[in-house]
Amino acid sequence: MVVGFAIVAAWELVTAAGVIGFRRPIYNALSLVANMLGLAVLFLMLNAQFLFAAQVIVYAGAVMVLFVFIIALLNPVSDLSLGRRGGEWVWGAVFGVIFAVLLAALLYNRGLTGKPGTFTPEAIGAVGNVQTIGIALYTRFLFPVEVTSVLLLVAAVGAVYLAMRRIR
Amino acid sequence: MPVPAYTFLMLSGVLFTMGAIGFLVRRNPLVVFMCIELMLNAVNLAFAAESRYLNSLDGVVFAFLVITVAAAEVVVGIAIIVQVYRAGRQMDVDELDLMKE
Repeated sequence: MVVGFAIVAAWELVTAAGVIGFRRPIYNALSLVANMLGLAVLFLMLNAQFLFAAQVIVYAGAVMVLFVFIIALLNPVSDLSLGRRGGEWVWGAVFGVIFAVLLAALLYNRGLTGKPGTFTPEAIGAVGNVQTIGIALYTRFLFPVEVTSVLLLVAAVGAVYLAMRRIR
Repeated sequence: MPVPAYTFLMLSGVLFTMGAIGFLVRRNPLVVFMCIELMLNAVNLAFAAESRYLNSLDGVVFAFLVITVAAAEVVVGIAIIVQVYRAGRQMDVDELDLMKE
């Protein structure tokens, strides 16, 4: 378990570095696909099988296919920021390391202090992961689900409107 | 559970920071969007870890909602990027300052 976690964590860090480091956008996109698949493995290690499936289908499937399509359509030039202005990378790294250290120290010291609930892996396993989450989604979290569905509708309408309209 | 909870949370924090660095440093709007996705993914990891180690379903449900919101955000954002590109402007967030005038 620990060894598996270490391997996947290293994979996540390397692919995340690829997302922000590669100059060509298609390499960034492919690194992000690898990153999301690694994250799906982490979800599986955290006993969240439903999130694993949603991550693979929605993120690594739909969203990243959209990204790759748009990159193939627009053929954007590679980012010039590495050569032309190096200072922003230096400052980004410096403040990023400071922020990461602060965040990691906070998370290490505080940890998870909430009151444990009743959904132990055994309790979820007795009913089934997807069934448990489905029951929670449509009873206790009904209002957030409805709001999110309205948001999806608005996004679809907005995308169609933007696609029809031609700005100068 | 051999892996303690804070390792997942610290990995999530580091991934979030890397996404934030990319968001601030990169200038291609598509890559900026990918960095936003990286940050959302990191938050999802923290939610899932919370859910597992506190024996609660809230984290999983919220991570699911975050995935949905991210999909909506990507749809609208990419539509805007395509429109900007069709208007013949540069793919560079530093050059897109029309709203400033």
